[in-house]
Amino acid sequence: MTTVESRSSVAAVGERWARVDGRAKVRGELQYAADQPVRPCLDVAVHRSTRPHAKITAIDTSRALAAEGVVAVVTGADLYAEFGDRLMTGPAFSDQPCLAYGKVRYVGEPIAAVIAHGAKQAREAAELIEVSYDELEPVHDVDKAVLGAPFVHDELRPSIVFGDLKHLRGKRDTNVNYEYNLRKGDPSSVSGTTVSYDFWCPPTHHVPIELPFAAAWCEGERLELLATTQTPSYVRQSLADLLDLPLNRVRVRTAPLGGSFGAKMYDRLEPLVAALAWTQKMAVKITATREEAFLLTTRHGCAVAGSMTADENGMIVASTSDVRYDTGAYADVGPRITAKSGLVAPGPYKVDNVHVRSRCVYTNKPSAGPFRGFGVPQVTWAHESLADELARQLGEDPVEFRRRNMLREGDIAPVGTPMHSADFLGSLDAVTEAIEWGTPFVKQEGTLVRGRGVAVGMKAVLTPTISNAVVQLNQDGSASLLISTIDMGQGSDTIMAQIAAEVLCLGEGDVRVVQADTDVTPYDTITAGSRSTYHTGNAVRLAAENMRDKLVELAAERFGVVATDIKLTSDGLVSAQTQENVSVSELLHGHFGARGTTLTAEANFSTSWQPYDHENGLSPQVTEHWFAGAAAVQLTVDTATGRVHIEHLAVAGDVGRAINPAMVEQQLSGAAIMGIGHALFDQMVFDEGQIVNGTLLDYQLPSIKDMPDKLTPIIIESPHRTGPFGAKGVGETTIIPLAPAIANAVRDATGVRITQLPLTPERILTALEEQS
Amino acid sequence: MREIELKVNGLRRKLGVADDELLLDVLRREFGTTSVREGCGVGACGACTALVSGKSVSTCLSRAARFDGAEITTADGLPADDEVVDEFVANRAMQCGYCIPGFVMMAHELLGENPQPTDEEVVEHLEGNICRCGTYSEIHAAIKAAATRRAAKNERATA
Ligand code: FES
Ligand code: FES
Repeated sequence: MTTVESRSSVAAVGERWARVDGRAKVRGELQYAADQPVRPCLDVAVHRSTRPHAKITAIDTSRALAAEGVVAVVTGADLYAEFGDRLMTGPAFSDQPCLAYGKVRYVGEPIAAVIAHGAKQAREAAELIEVSYDELEPVHDVDKAVLGAPFVHDELRPSIVFGDLKHLRGKRDTNVNYEYNLRKGDPSSVSGTTVSYDFWCPPTHHVPIELPFAAAWCEGERLELLATTQTPSYVRQSLADLLDLPLNRVRVRTAPLGGSFGAKMYDRLEPLVAALAWTQKMAVKITATREEAFLLTTRHGCAVAGSMTADENGMIVASTSDVRYDTGAYADVGPRITAKSGLVAPGPYKVDNVHVRSRCVYTNKPSAGPFRGFGVPQVTWAHESLADELARQLGEDPVEFRRRNMLREGDIAPVGTPMHSADFLGSLDAVTEAIEWGTPFVKQEGTLVRGRGVAVGMKAVLTPTISNAVVQLNQDGSASLLISTIDMGQGSDTIMAQIAAEVLCLGEGDVRVVQADTDVTPYDTITAGSRSTYHTGNAVRLAAENMRDKLVELAAERFGVVATDIKLTSDGLVSAQTQENVSVSELLHGHFGARGTTLTAEANFSTSWQPYDHENGLSPQVTEHWFAGAAAVQLTVDTATGRVHIEHLAVAGDVGRAINPAMVEQQLSGAAIMGIGHALFDQMVFDEGQIVNGTLLDYQLPSIKDMPDKLTPIIIESPHRTGPFGAKGVGETTIIPLAPAIANAVRDATGVRITQLPLTPERILTALEEQS
Repeated sequence: MREIELKVNGLRRKLGVADDELLLDVLRREFGTTSVREGCGVGACGACTALVSGKSVSTCLSRAARFDGAEITTADGLPADDEVVDEFVANRAMQCGYCIPGFVMMAHELLGENPQPTDEEVVEHLEGNICRCGTYSEIHAAIKAAATRRAAKNERATA
């Protein structure tokens, strides 16, 4: 018998492990979906609507069919004949057909698909399709759409995914597909100093650099699909519903994503390729061009009419918000955004009198869906501009004003839920300290005026959701982790490996995460809303703990001691009583009597909530946990050109516990850089429903030139009692307060309060002119 | 259809290309170089960057037929001990990774022309490449580190 010195904890959690596949990514050898070897596929291209709102009276496909290389042309009407109402998909409302039939609802909506040998042939033939329309009056703007006709849909069609929308089925004559109301106290009953403004955020686009891709084919009586999706489990269900197949006859495979930020979720290209593959019995693929990607989904444009009132002690006593999300022609997950973001419209403040009215509104535009922040940046833009302006009008320091009013541990948020592990104060203090808030600075140099601004963000994690994990421990001591969380750059493959490794005392590189494949990896609600670290992370932790228990039992049997006597260390299993030890490899070999065997353990982790009251919007537990973040900025505005230059941007996010601090910093910085775009120039521009800047030549994105002179990401760790090792997610946290922080700094520098995004040079110059 | 000859990552091949075929598509299809990728198709993102005789080219805008006889390098063809690759890895200059090979090739072009670029020169050179994950600081640091390492290597070589 040998005695081992036990290194009982191999540090995995909290370590800056290198990103899985880092070298393959740098060399470009990592295979994304479109790089994967699949069977030869025919190419699909679609013919798109040129009208924002019209009845389709006739479609002539004959010229397209006769074109070289064309194998088939399929219209929405053809698919409707096959699938009936099942053709309509969508996470909240079954309102979106993969090819329009009867009616088109936005410019760019797909009407017919061409299947051809080669993408070029398919695209050229798609141009030859002729559609006759009977034009209907369109509605382009949320404020018009809420008033009444014209209606984008004749009738609301809630899907079966969200049971709580069922009561809306059959509702007619409205463009408002969902309304969330939060009512607490009576804002009209209080007096004091009030500020109120109308705010606007335009629709923006995610622009992940990888383009959306989907391929589908039949494998006997099954449908197989490989796609750029961050929701494989959802897509499997959606396609099974569409094709009326049991779940085990639909297989959804994924690949690492070249970014998504919400763009590659729910029903995108998948229903179309699945319907074509299934009806035509052909292997087909579609790669969206960048122009087409702009039409697939957007971030909600959003109007907020808001007010905030403070009493003579500088306490916020009332807050009101009228929020209108422009969801475009199809609801997608807009109703969820409307509610989940509406409930944080008052911001991270203690307020007794609150009224929020948050509505999801159809218009004749491309459909809006989830985008990093899930609608919260839009309402934060309002509440953080209001809080700032209120402080300034009271003659107070905006930081002190926020500190005094901020929700703290145990406080009840306006929505009725007590706060835990949401360190707004720590985040605020960290960012303001970083930019040296309160120390004097040179206010003006020639035409340059300098200012500082701050903003705080609050978001609820998506709840309830379900995650599963399976750990396979191989006889040699290496492990495979089966989860359906998608690594799209956030680093989940690395941190999930760290969580499993921490429990099982494994080292860097010992745990491999298996690519999500619904035939292989277990159900996971979605990879989104910064939920995976907490939810899937907990499932992984539990599965690894189950595995540890199994190993301990096997060792106890082997040593003839009780299980409580056994400890798992990085050197294997050791008995405290006898000092006997065995490596995992030997233990498993002894147990199975063979090399290369596997031991399997699994776990589920589900969260629950208490649905908000439909009358007043309140809930004692509206979410599993909260995200807190803050941004502070020092910048200059050139009063001659209107240009903003960021000297220092500090961002902080409370992540509970950083499983991998390096990746947390990248998430904090990445979200902040995306937020700079939203604050200063990012926007989709429409003219009569037609997108006019839908190429990367015209749509501006932050480049290395837009980086602040200094960017400081700060990790705040306020452990969550039920997080895996205290951890929560982070992906969205710092995009939330970014735009108001910049706008507040512009206000500080210039004295002008701008209430529309983005803060383009023209907009700033106009505001400066109006002021003088 | 035209017959051309390309030398891609040291591999010389004759092949037939259609007159309007893009270099991007030919590299991916004929040479399996997955590191060149379409991100925008209009020369505005840099994801499709390859080096032709050391000069960066947006392969999404370039007709393959024009490159008869050219020597092309893509990120997946770089030598195993490439210091730019090493420094990108060491500096964690990758998130989703999709844009990164384009940046690696831009870095090679820059260091080829200007072995000790200033911060401003790095920024100027990379301005046309988009990283939506926002990996700019890490990319910048990686390029500076690669420059330093190359200089040290060259010093050793000449010493
Ligand atoms: S794909 Fe060539 S530059 Fe974007
Ligand atoms: S690493 Fe994702 S786009 Fe650059």
